[in-house]
Amino acid sequence: MDPLEMQDDSKKSNKPKYSKFTQQELPACKPLLTPSIVISTFLLVGILFVPIGLASLSASQEIVELVHRYDTSCVPLADKVGFIQDTKTDKSCTRTLTVPKHMKSPIQIYYQIGDFYQNHRRYVKSRSDKQLRYKDAVHLTKDCEPEVYGADGAPIVPCGLVAWSLFNDTYTISVNKKAIEVNKKDIAWQSDKNKKFGSDVYPRNFQNGNLIGGAKLNESIPLSEHENLIVWMRTAALSTFRKLYGRIETDIMENDQLTVVIQNNYNTYSFGGSKALVLSTTSWIGGKNNFIGVAYLTVGGFCLFLALFFVVLYMIKPRTLGDPSFLSWNRCTLDYPN
Amino acid sequence: MRPERPLPPPPPSQQTEEAAAGAPGMDAPTKLPDPVPSPILRHSSANSMRRSRSLRSLMADSPSVTFATNNLRSGSKAESTASSLESFRFHRDRSASGTPAGLGRVSTRRSASERASSQRDLHDEDARFVYINDAERTNAPPAGLPDNSIHTTKYTVLTFLPRNLYEQFHRVAYLYFLVLVALNMVPQLGVLSPAASVLPLAFVLGVTAVKDAYEDWRRHRSDKNENNRTASVLVGGVFVPKCWKEVQAGEVLRVVANETLPCDMVLLSTSDPTGVAYVQTINLDGESNLKTRYAKQETMPTPAEALAGVIKCERPNRNIYGFLATVDLDGRRAVSLGPSNIVLRGCEIKNTAWAIGVAVYTGRDTKVMLNSSGAPSKRSRLETHMNREVIMLAVVLFLLCAIVSLLAGIWLGHHSDELGVIPFFGKRDFSDKDDPDATYNWYGMGAEVAFTFMKSVITFQVMIPIALYISMEIVRVGQAFFMVQDKHMFDDKRQAKFQCRALNINEDLGQIKYVFSDKTGTLTENRMEFRCASVHGADFSDTAGSGGADDGHSVIGEDGVVLRPKTAVKTDPKLVALLKDGAGANADRARDFFLTLATCNTIVPIAVDDAAAAAAADPDPAAVTARLLEYQGESPDEQALVYAAAAYGYTLVERTSGHITVDVFGSRQRYDVLGLHEFDSDRKRMSVIIGCPDKSVKLFVKGADSSMFGVIDKTVNSDVVQSTEKHLHSYSSLGLRTLVIGMRELSQEEFQEWQMAYEKASTALLGRGNQLRNVAANIETNLHLLGATGIDDKLQDGVPEAIEKLREAGIKVWVLTGDKQETAISIGYSCKLLTRDMTQIVINSRSRDSCRKSLEDAIAMVNKYQSFSTDPQLRVPLALIIDGNSLVYIFDTDWEEKLFEIAIACDVVLCCRVAPLQKAGIVDLIKKRTSDMTLAIGDGANDVSMIQMADVGIGISGQEGRQAVMASDFAMGQFRFLVPLLLVHGHWNYQRMAYMILYNFYRNATFVFVLFWYVLYTGFTLTTAITEWSSVLYSVIYTAVPTIVVAILDKDLSRRTLLKYPQLYGPGQREENYNLRLFIFIMIDSVWQSLACFFIPYLAYRKSVIDGSSLGDLWTLSVVILVNIHLAMDVIRWNWITHVAIWGSIAATWICVVIIDSIPIMPGFWAIYKVMGTGLFWALLLVVTVVGMIPHFAAKAFSEYFIPSDIQIAREMKSQDFHDVTRPEVQMSTVSRA
Repeated sequence: MDPLEMQDDSKKSNKPKYSKFTQQELPACKPLLTPSIVISTFLLVGILFVPIGLASLSASQEIVELVHRYDTSCVPLADKVGFIQDTKTDKSCTRTLTVPKHMKSPIQIYYQIGDFYQNHRRYVKSRSDKQLRYKDAVHLTKDCEPEVYGADGAPIVPCGLVAWSLFNDTYTISVNKKAIEVNKKDIAWQSDKNKKFGSDVYPRNFQNGNLIGGAKLNESIPLSEHENLIVWMRTAALSTFRKLYGRIETDIMENDQLTVVIQNNYNTYSFGGSKALVLSTTSWIGGKNNFIGVAYLTVGGFCLFLALFFVVLYMIKPRTLGDPSFLSWNRCTLDYPN
Repeated sequence: MRPERPLPPPPPSQQTEEAAAGAPGMDAPTKLPDPVPSPILRHSSANSMRRSRSLRSLMADSPSVTFATNNLRSGSKAESTASSLESFRFHRDRSASGTPAGLGRVSTRRSASERASSQRDLHDEDARFVYINDAERTNAPPAGLPDNSIHTTKYTVLTFLPRNLYEQFHRVAYLYFLVLVALNMVPQLGVLSPAASVLPLAFVLGVTAVKDAYEDWRRHRSDKNENNRTASVLVGGVFVPKCWKEVQAGEVLRVVANETLPCDMVLLSTSDPTGVAYVQTINLDGESNLKTRYAKQETMPTPAEALAGVIKCERPNRNIYGFLATVDLDGRRAVSLGPSNIVLRGCEIKNTAWAIGVAVYTGRDTKVMLNSSGAPSKRSRLETHMNREVIMLAVVLFLLCAIVSLLAGIWLGHHSDELGVIPFFGKRDFSDKDDPDATYNWYGMGAEVAFTFMKSVITFQVMIPIALYISMEIVRVGQAFFMVQDKHMFDDKRQAKFQCRALNINEDLGQIKYVFSDKTGTLTENRMEFRCASVHGADFSDTAGSGGADDGHSVIGEDGVVLRPKTAVKTDPKLVALLKDGAGANADRARDFFLTLATCNTIVPIAVDDAAAAAAADPDPAAVTARLLEYQGESPDEQALVYAAAAYGYTLVERTSGHITVDVFGSRQRYDVLGLHEFDSDRKRMSVIIGCPDKSVKLFVKGADSSMFGVIDKTVNSDVVQSTEKHLHSYSSLGLRTLVIGMRELSQEEFQEWQMAYEKASTALLGRGNQLRNVAANIETNLHLLGATGIDDKLQDGVPEAIEKLREAGIKVWVLTGDKQETAISIGYSCKLLTRDMTQIVINSRSRDSCRKSLEDAIAMVNKYQSFSTDPQLRVPLALIIDGNSLVYIFDTDWEEKLFEIAIACDVVLCCRVAPLQKAGIVDLIKKRTSDMTLAIGDGANDVSMIQMADVGIGISGQEGRQAVMASDFAMGQFRFLVPLLLVHGHWNYQRMAYMILYNFYRNATFVFVLFWYVLYTGFTLTTAITEWSSVLYSVIYTAVPTIVVAILDKDLSRRTLLKYPQLYGPGQREENYNLRLFIFIMIDSVWQSLACFFIPYLAYRKSVIDGSSLGDLWTLSVVILVNIHLAMDVIRWNWITHVAIWGSIAATWICVVIIDSIPIMPGFWAIYKVMGTGLFWALLLVVTVVGMIPHFAAKAFSEYFIPSDIQIAREMKSQDFHDVTRPEVQMSTVSRA
């Protein structure tokens, strides 16, 4: 054989194998922003958003919310911090509220704390999730600084600033002078109770240091059943937050008198925080918040406006799509006839 | 006439050669130059004299020796031409040595004069001493010469890790991330967990390291193959096989025909009795023709094993055309060695049974290795520009961090008294009972602020997109894959695929403004074809009726072998008839015409086996063996002419230095070559003086028409002159290369007069070249015009169309060629570079002053034309034609600026007669003065410097070897592939890469801004609601794949559209897809989207039970959805891969978030499940997406409709005509066939 030819044969494999993929010719859709697509997109968004906005606004309106800030009125004006830090004084404080509207059960009871940075970096990090979950992980406290060891030098369970600062105000509520039961069960996430907090992990050495941060825990009850702790440990995203305290499972009528006896124990005075009690009904939208409804209405309205705006624009200055005379080099020749 | 010569020596060596050749006043007596390297059988040098002597004596018994030898003994002043010729030769021999004629005398005389000079030239301290046959002594310390192994690998197993890391960290961005990782390891600054902080950098480094390791392993493999090839080395008197890597300097090697040389060696002896060896240097400089190299006569007779001596040579250098050495045999006499005595690694021995040489340069010292240092790594323009934006992002990052740390300082100052008791701050360390004032993690205000700053740098680090760097590499590999696979860039003829050799400048292909092209082999095929002849005023160009293939082609050799010229040429039957049977003046002229073609050249005929004929036609071994007659020579034009002469019955069958044998219609005739005046660029012609069998002496001349008409006797047959001129004009307008043929019969007196002058000139020590030129000029007068030839320098397929397309695309095509001006211009016309309506500015100066004058004239002319009309449509196109000499003057002085001005104003620039370094100089001229991108394309070694200089270098993998390809960034088979490469792939690559970079900036910035807004609500403490794993995975998994896929696959316009409207290339040149304006726009969009993404959920969740993790998950998902929808909105072609990538990424993000939230010990356990169960979450996701996208969508809709770009209109056109879509895309080959 001719060596040259043989070489050719062997080189044939050089030739790229052609396929739609290698030639970059896969079937493809090439959408264009034609006027009709632009206008109908804006119209569609507008038409979709306005009803959603109205629906959520009405849902938010239906929610009855009772917010009562009590931190200022439940302490003497002078030396708030001294008062609150004194463990001996009676801190109970009775407030009477009038229900503005019929409240359907379940009525959620929240406490709302203001300017408490549960999202502060030092605070968020100061916990040991392993210790909360596993019985054997008592000593895994490296992240818990500065709340690691109790008075006896043994590790605190649960350790860390988050647990230490557990909220400890309590509310006793009576409607029209008749005490009603506040259900404090199932206020925490079921998942937290089952998986995150160990049912065999018991509090130890908790709140027996020099400075008491907040609530104490019953050492005979496992962590998974301290629902107030579990709620507290799910740190809030923002500096003013609510946490579920309990639930009232009866309806409260309009103009009913609510008497709340507050044990005002929790110290927000040393950093200028605020405390409030919140009673609220629920709906699919969550708590009472008109913002989302307003946002939807605004956006929807704006989109309808844009649709109109583009219709006008397209009418004022129409252009044939794909007209070659608009190409820059063709425009050039138009400028220079001949 | 001659094709461009590869690499006339670059300046440094030029200087040494010139100095050696006789710079007056330097060193008298000056040495004679060494035999000029390439030309075959030149009479001007003493070396060939010597060879002619030996050839003669060898052929004393040959029957073809006719008359000269008869007079050998006369000795006295001969009366006949022939005897005078002999005496002339004797005389020279005597004058040379004074001893009887014999081998080696000439060289002895030469060496005597050379010894002095060459020893002066080469100082001992600059020299390398190679002891022949004594490798031990040669390599003994302190010489310490390397062995012959080559190592192109960068790493070994041990050094890989440190060295690779070291190299990778040359990227400043990587160092930045390394510093951040280190910072994060400081306990006080630990924002991220160590694993999360190391992951991104480790990923990027790992991917690159794997790639580098693979490449290096491949290099290692090829090195190993190379090093283990065997060479035959003289050991103890016998040649034994030895691995290449073991060859040492000083050892004597034997190389047989078709073998590759393992190292650079000085020839000692060859199978040829005269010491000639033919080498092919295709691997070295890309030239496919054979070069002659000589063994010195002094070393020839001694058997190699008995040879001893020392070679003193230059230190290794890169100049492949220079070599300076002396050999001292037995300490008796130093013989000088020049470039013609050395054969270089990588060359192949051809037509020589064997050659023996001594290794002088080995391994990494060989010239080929020194020249293969590889292209300096280039960075794409886009990447360079990207740095500007990266710096801006760094400033933004600094500002964000400064704001955070400033506010943190204010906050701390505000609360400084309370820090100990604030439950969420915990300044006091309650664990430490001994010290009531113990603090935890508190180092004072100043330190806190500083720490906050550093922590915020760590938190916001992705502002500088590290993933972008690795994405770019992946994208380039993907783009390269599609370029390589493109069937439109596959060269069927040579089975050559497109090659991407540099992987970091793909996108530069979309921004080219200047193309610098070599001519020979790039625009043309470098295959000359004889087309027409004008003989004595009659035009013979009608080859339609050409007879059978064998007609007049084959000749019977001496030994009965049929010789057939390798290339058949179509003949004009009328002319054949005239030659065969014609009578009268016309026929005689025609015969002289073809005799001139057959004799007036430096072609060497070589008979090779006719493999095709042997295989196909006659399996019968008894049949007459047919061999192919191949004409080897430097000049393809000459080859074409000799093949043409053979086709017309004048077959050159043999050449020795003293005579040539021509087969004239079957009868062998011997012609003595009495003298040869080489071609030079001043005379632009060459001539031979031939002693004919009828004892007449004739001068045959061929040359460029411009020079020939000056020396032709126009008084006789003026009508012939006129009609020839007419023919010449018509030939050259066809784009043919024309030559004019003339002759004159010399009288006895004239001949003797010439002979004296010639002898004097060729032995002159000073200014020999000039003297020879004068001799030639004196004899080349009053010629009779024989006719003219037209040779077609075949253009490659599709070159005119490709140039046209490139010009339409706004790319300026400059042709830089080593060819002479006339040829360059004629090719310029035939490839439509030059058009008839162009005004040519020719700068063609012979002196510094005239050069300046012509520059000034040119500037005046340019200004005149520019002021003449400012209207671009009416502008007169200008073409600048400039030659190498003028360029020398220009680059020597500071007139570069002027040249630049002229060149910029011209539409076309043609540079002719340029040396390789000048090519690079011209590229540099543009590169230095404009910000425009340059591309150089070439196929030969002479283009290497230009290819490396240009922003993008493209090698044509043609016949001319691999040098250009090795130096190039991209290699392809044909010039016309430049069109799809630039207009289609370049456009795509640029557009995609530009978008990807901007998108990556935007994508990361959006995320960082979302983090930043949140930090403002956490007491400025760098808490992130988004989990740290999501932050790490964000640019690696959540959003990385779509941008890579889009950057590889998206096409803004189809190939067909891009080729139809070359102007669409413009946006790349004008940098329309990546500029500061776009960057600012996309950053504004980024801020807007981050605001929407952060504040809508913030306002909705204010004073609610929302926990950090749930909100973080919402933010994660909405950012990812936003940036992916942003990308989706900008995708132009949606194919299934794009769909999978974009929607898949969102799904993948969701899955990752779910997985992270399913780990019980993570703080955000179960958050995503909880939050997805609320209606508010979905409502927020929807509104965030819509609010985030409205500005981008509205702006896009507005700008596309009301201020459409060309690309937008072209896209619309494409989708308008649906009937076109069904048609197959236009193939480039249709262009090529035209």
